[in-house]
Amino acid sequence: MAKFQTPLLDQLESGPWPSFVSDIKQEAAARAKNPKGLDYQIPVDAPEDLLGIVELSYRDKETHWKHGGIVGVFGYGGGVIGRYCDRPEEFPGVAHFHTIRVNQPAGKYYTTDFLRQLCDIWDLRGSGILNMHGSTGDIVFLGTQTPQLEEIFWELTHKMNNDLGGSGSNLRTPAACLGQSRCEFACYNTQDICYQLTQDYQDELHRPAFPYKFKFKFDGCPNGCVCAMARSDFAVIGTWKDDIKIDQEKVKAYVAGEFKPNAGAHAGRDWGKFDIQKEVVDRCPTHCMNWDGSKLSIKTADCVRCMHCINTMPRALHIGDERGASILVGAKAPVVEGAQMGSLLIPFIEVKPPYDEIKDVIEKIWDWWMEEGKNRERVGETMKRLSFQTLLEVTEVPAQPQQVRAPRANPFIFFKEDEVPGGWTRDIAEFRKRHQR
Amino acid sequence: MADEDVVLDFLKGKSAAKSKFYFKDFLPLFPDKGPREVKKILTKLVNAEKLEFWSSGSTTMYGLKGAGKQSQAEGED
Amino acid sequence: MAFISTGYNPQKPMEGRISDIGPRKYDEFLPEVIKKNFGKWVYHEILRPGVLVHVAESGDKIYTVRVGGARTMTITHVREVCDIADKYCGGHVRWTTRSNIEFLCDDEASMEKLCEDLKTRKFAGGSYKFPIGGTGAGVSNMIHTQGWLHCHTPATDSSGPVKCVMDTLFDEFTNMRLPAPVRVSLACCINMCGAVHCSDIGLVGIHRKPPMIDHQWADQLCEIPLAVAACPTAAVRPTKVELNGEKVNSVAIKQDRCMYCGNCYTMCQAMPIADSEGDGIAIMVGGKVSNRISMPKFSKVVVSYIPNEPPRWETLTKTVKHIVEVYAANANKYERLGDWCERIGWESFFKLTGLEFTHHLIDDFREASYNTWRQSTQFKF
Repeated sequence: MAKFQTPLLDQLESGPWPSFVSDIKQEAAARAKNPKGLDYQIPVDAPEDLLGIVELSYRDKETHWKHGGIVGVFGYGGGVIGRYCDRPEEFPGVAHFHTIRVNQPAGKYYTTDFLRQLCDIWDLRGSGILNMHGSTGDIVFLGTQTPQLEEIFWELTHKMNNDLGGSGSNLRTPAACLGQSRCEFACYNTQDICYQLTQDYQDELHRPAFPYKFKFKFDGCPNGCVCAMARSDFAVIGTWKDDIKIDQEKVKAYVAGEFKPNAGAHAGRDWGKFDIQKEVVDRCPTHCMNWDGSKLSIKTADCVRCMHCINTMPRALHIGDERGASILVGAKAPVVEGAQMGSLLIPFIEVKPPYDEIKDVIEKIWDWWMEEGKNRERVGETMKRLSFQTLLEVTEVPAQPQQVRAPRANPFIFFKEDEVPGGWTRDIAEFRKRHQR
Repeated sequence: MADEDVVLDFLKGKSAAKSKFYFKDFLPLFPDKGPREVKKILTKLVNAEKLEFWSSGSTTMYGLKGAGKQSQAEGED
Repeated sequence: MAFISTGYNPQKPMEGRISDIGPRKYDEFLPEVIKKNFGKWVYHEILRPGVLVHVAESGDKIYTVRVGGARTMTITHVREVCDIADKYCGGHVRWTTRSNIEFLCDDEASMEKLCEDLKTRKFAGGSYKFPIGGTGAGVSNMIHTQGWLHCHTPATDSSGPVKCVMDTLFDEFTNMRLPAPVRVSLACCINMCGAVHCSDIGLVGIHRKPPMIDHQWADQLCEIPLAVAACPTAAVRPTKVELNGEKVNSVAIKQDRCMYCGNCYTMCQAMPIADSEGDGIAIMVGGKVSNRISMPKFSKVVVSYIPNEPPRWETLTKTVKHIVEVYAANANKYERLGDWCERIGWESFFKLTGLEFTHHLIDDFREASYNTWRQSTQFKF
């Protein structure tokens, strides 16, 4: 018998899509039964109280949570978010209901051993409810009480050799696409740089000293499955410099209908016979391709590596061999000054362990932003306020036409004094010799 | 005065009005030190249980341990 | 309940402490066939919705079965995932960026058995536990935030509206019959801790009323300078107000400067922002992150406000479904929703969808808004 009637939430159990309500109910039932005979360290009915308070929100159309800022594990400024409900007497199981972010492995592959260990910790010491995964990429434990925080951290570090993720004004838990582990488009090992930089920057991740959050994301190719250039302050996106590799026989096979175009992604609708001219050549954004009926050619100098032709004929076309990444800086969601996309800082950089060249760029950006950034200003906003030129200066990256869509459309150029012969100190007496007043 | 005391005095001096500060607010206390050095001082104070973090989730502040109004309100002290 | 200690000593927090170790290394978790063929994959194919095969130089294959699900799940559910992965996948499983679960099999026969098994698993309430799909030119799982389940500043729920939208778009999750992928996301307030600003369809919770001020409690619950400093638009200032004949310290809000972000409520519980009549959802469309064909772009607001209608959010789901249907009927193959809107023109988008164009949809937020006004006589009637 459920602790609370939840007539509104119950209506979210029907329909085909997996129901979080049904799932939480099954957790509530499992805890009530307690088959392992656990001495639950937070109230056994936490999932029921959670359903109860959410039902109340469904009635009120208002949230019933409050934020709490002081809770955390000792010495870390991030990884725990304090949460309290505003009806603690009726829902004591969720009166204190803090969040813990657990750093996920790069690419989000797991063994079931690891997951079961996680579940065991969270069974004993938390609500049993979690996010796989939070928006930034962490495993998110939803709902525990303050005395459990250190215990959970202890078990994670001592038994599972795994640390917490980031929150607050620090380096957030970096994330990567699955990269070379299972994708033929990946131009570098996204998981490895993600792992390595997470390790190298543990102090930045756990002890906040930035003006605001800072995110790394690593996409293996311009398809951008992990959304680096929209969602990370520092986006590393795979690319290449040389020719797209073409297997002409396989191109013909696509034309002949032997292979499904776009790897079968459009198979659910009859779009007619594959037309390489219409679907590939004419859709190329720079018109750098030609199909003469038997041979596909690409003018590499004009190719912008948009991935369309490769996505459409993955068995015939392959990324080039001279591989690396582009670095784009400053993406963020809209608050406060409006959304920003990452801006291209470095068109091409090699991505090879130990990644010193990339770390050098990161550290120069941090040094600058820590000095110049205002409180709660993302680096993208600092760039806008202090200019792209300043970013180039501090990172010692030369200005290149790739960095802009177009040159400036106004002549209000801020020259520096040392850029002008003779400087700005001029002799008025000399001037007067040539010009009367 | 030891670097740590500079921080503690600053916080004690302000505690009546405001108990939490952004990292950047500490930089003017040490005009000759860069952010990374100032961070080391704060970290030392956190590890010595003199300071504690306060997080809004998106940002983080530093304050004297136990200072401020929230911990009491939530029964977390 | 007896407190079970792990060995942590609160009197000596540094004793035996392990910190700064980061996550486990990714390669510990990779299936053998992936370790062996790492970086040597040559092509892939989507065999049917939700089922992929990747083929390596060596000829090795790996079969992936992608299933949707709620990102908020329980350990009971995760343990079931583990049981399945143990039975069919040698104890390996992964999650995608969009909260899909991927089961990986070395051979086709196990993959087929796995698919049969997954189809039979349902929650007690009747919904699928592991719907197969989310690949190719269809709708993948929704990225979303916490909402009423866990967040203190949401303008709507997240898990609920996501469940309702995905129920409505379910056939597009299990099929691949749209012109291109359609990425749908939901953020429960404008802070967008799950960024949805570059989604084909982005649903954003919005507040429409500035916070209330609980003068009686402001000075007791909050440090007023911190509440003032929390406001990104400097709309909050300290003030003294008369309350029951006494002067008390509190705050005042310049209401026309408020952008309803809730940051002050995060800092000060005497400034609640939630409001059943004020809160609701805006719909943004046409964003994308991929560089394929066209450059990445932001989503644009096409519906400024839909009220919260728990538990099933009928107006929201109807509107989203309608947008997807009009797009599906009119866009060219490979054309993302935003590319289609740009090709036909936004005036045609409103004509075809029948969505009402209101003054709220014209940008008036700071200088960049000028770039969205039309400086041309070229337009469609």
